[in-house]
Amino acid sequence: MENASSSDSNRPPCGCGRSKGPAEESRRGFLANTATVVLGTAALGAPLVVGLVSFLNPLRHKRQAGRFFRVATLDALPEDGTPRKFPVIADRQDAWTLYKDVPIGSVFLRRVGPGQVKALAVICPHAGCVISYDATADGFLCPCHTARFDLDGRRTDEPSKSPRPMDELEVDVPGGNEVWVKFQQFQTGIAQKVVKT
Amino acid sequence: MKALCDWIDSRTGLGEWLRRCQAARVPGRVCLCRSLPLVLVLAFALQAITGVFLLMRYCPSSDTAWESVYWLQYETQGGWLLRAIHHCCGQAVLVLLGLYLVGIILRGTYRAPRELVFWSVLLLGLVTLGLLLSGDLLAWDENSRSATLTRVGFLQALPGVGESLFKLAAAGPEFGNLTLSQFTTLHTVILPGAFLVLLLLRWWFVRRATAADDAQPTDGPFYWPGQALTGVVGCLILLAVVFGLALAHGTTGQRRGVVLGAPADPVEFYDAARPEWAFLGLYGFSKLGVFGSGTIVPIFVIPGALVCLFLLMPFIGRWRLGHVFNIVLVLVLLGGNVYLSCKVLAEDRADGRHQALLRQGELAGARMPVLIRRHGGIPPAGPLGLLHDDPKVAGRKLFIQHCASCHDYVGPARDDIQFGESSAPNLFGFGSRRWIAGLLDPKQVDSDHYFGNTAFKRGEMVKFVKQELAELFEEAPEDRDLLILALSAEAKLPAQREADEKDAKRIAEARELTLIADYCTDCHQFHEEGRLGTAPELTGYASREWTIGIIRNPADPRFYGKRNDRMQAYAKTDDETKNLLTSRQIELLVDWLRGDWYEPEQ
Repeated sequence: MENASSSDSNRPPCGCGRSKGPAEESRRGFLANTATVVLGTAALGAPLVVGLVSFLNPLRHKRQAGRFFRVATLDALPEDGTPRKFPVIADRQDAWTLYKDVPIGSVFLRRVGPGQVKALAVICPHAGCVISYDATADGFLCPCHTARFDLDGRRTDEPSKSPRPMDELEVDVPGGNEVWVKFQQFQTGIAQKVVKT
Repeated sequence: MKALCDWIDSRTGLGEWLRRCQAARVPGRVCLCRSLPLVLVLAFALQAITGVFLLMRYCPSSDTAWESVYWLQYETQGGWLLRAIHHCCGQAVLVLLGLYLVGIILRGTYRAPRELVFWSVLLLGLVTLGLLLSGDLLAWDENSRSATLTRVGFLQALPGVGESLFKLAAAGPEFGNLTLSQFTTLHTVILPGAFLVLLLLRWWFVRRATAADDAQPTDGPFYWPGQALTGVVGCLILLAVVFGLALAHGTTGQRRGVVLGAPADPVEFYDAARPEWAFLGLYGFSKLGVFGSGTIVPIFVIPGALVCLFLLMPFIGRWRLGHVFNIVLVLVLLGGNVYLSCKVLAEDRADGRHQALLRQGELAGARMPVLIRRHGGIPPAGPLGLLHDDPKVAGRKLFIQHCASCHDYVGPARDDIQFGESSAPNLFGFGSRRWIAGLLDPKQVDSDHYFGNTAFKRGEMVKFVKQELAELFEEAPEDRDLLILALSAEAKLPAQREADEKDAKRIAEARELTLIADYCTDCHQFHEEGRLGTAPELTGYASREWTIGIIRNPADPRFYGKRNDRMQAYAKTDDETKNLLTSRQIELLVDWLRGDWYEPEQ
């Protein structure tokens, strides 16, 4: 630093001298280095940034907000409260393809009283596998990591692999026969029930 | 000629390089273990070559990925072998890198100045794991989609960023077209590129390290040709192993090469999904549940901490005790991995439900070429429709879903379905001569295979078979055989068609003697004899129409009426939406039970 400032003062005041002092060389070298690095980074970075913008595009994709679907009729539910799995039929979008009126998921429904229905999501809150009804144990079983739940979706194995009970869904039985369920998906692997966005 | 050689030499410096190679020596002696790097290079070349040819035939989208792999596997000459070599060599690379890493740690050659060599090998291992994971999804069959979905789904457990990471990894909120194209890029461009760069870096770091510790040997054997030849022998061993694995299931038939499962269903989940062998240990660890609920600790924190610990090994190993610690850690991890993998395999083997579902997956996968060839090709709507309307697969699946919690399906075949304690008759071969012979056998009628676990254990039928019928048959043993033939003929089972035709005379004789009417119509109805309401009708017993009827409503007077034990009515009404199963589903189920499905003529 000191060296540089002292050689600065030795330079001819007009600055038109042909001789290049070591200070000027180092300054030009510094400028050239910086310029090369900056421009080189920019040249590589520009396409990279454009690429990254399109790569990050999936973050902007939001799921459809949960809405009510007609899933079944009350008559279809066993009187004894045995759960039954019903598909939810709606449009499914897979990037550029739109599938009209196809299953987009399923729900478990069961009677819990006269005209009362309980709906549980089939997705295991642990790792997102699909839970099945296990008639032998009269409860639910996730085939991936053997988490077990009772008919109300409470965890029955201790310690449970699942961080929370099965996710209950909102049900509406307008007119006492058609069963409508608010179909939503929740984040897996966490103790709180957070709707996927 | 010499002029040409000189010209090439002066422009490329090739001669100088060759002379240096010839002068290079090996420290110590020529050894097969020293050829590991060369074998890795060969393995990479093998993967690159087979990978390029696979990529030429692969179409990554949710409507074409499985279809294009199907085309390779079943309709392209040598396509199955190409897949198998690529798959097996990938597994071999992981094993080789594991061996290499363990060797480095045991010999302590990760210490200065070889830290970077060790790290590049460690990273090569991680990149290879990434290649295995990303490659697994590309087949887009039941297992690959479900298992990958579970793995990528674990990202959601990370607080705050989980959902965003999942969307980035899957290239959208759900698995689909973009997930496949992204994983294809990862598997064919990004990760192989990283692998190649790391291989080159490793070579460079080895050179630097050898120069740094002045270990350039001056008296050992020459590298060329002794060690080079040994290297080639190592490569040939790898080739032999890879081809051995690829051809392990033979060169013909459904199971040759690497299995291709049934196509992935966009919303259904494959219940028997399991990770690949390399991840079974981690899977078993997460299943232990030693950290309670949640997946962050077993899936992210502990494996992450282990990777960090491995990265620090060169520094830990500077102390004598640290080196011992590193060795113990590696051995414990290896042992633990093997133990947990075996534990998972043993648990799965003992789990009847899992075995039935696994077999279901195998059957569905093996059935696809049959169904597609029968149809003449894959319909534009996709191959799943063919599978969903096939009794052999869909019927069996319906049985697992709706019947197997009470009924077993256990016979001499591999297709057994047995969830545990059964509470209803074994339905394997229902209506066949063998099945009816067992039903009328006083020793078997109240066993687990028939009425042993039902309310009928103390019923009239069991009492009758054990006492009266046993005595009657003792007096007229010929009646027993004729009765079985005649009753079983009512079922008109496809598998018994030839036997029934062969025994047509005896069956007619039984009818003339009115055996069924004589023995059974005190309780059962048979054509005009007997009456309904006390026991199931025997007219057309176990026929397609009869079996559909009993599944629709077993409490119908034609079947068990008010005496029905616990069996549900699966289609009590004519309104499909109110029934547990649709008419078509019941048909599929019954056709499967009766073994009535399409098989190609050999």
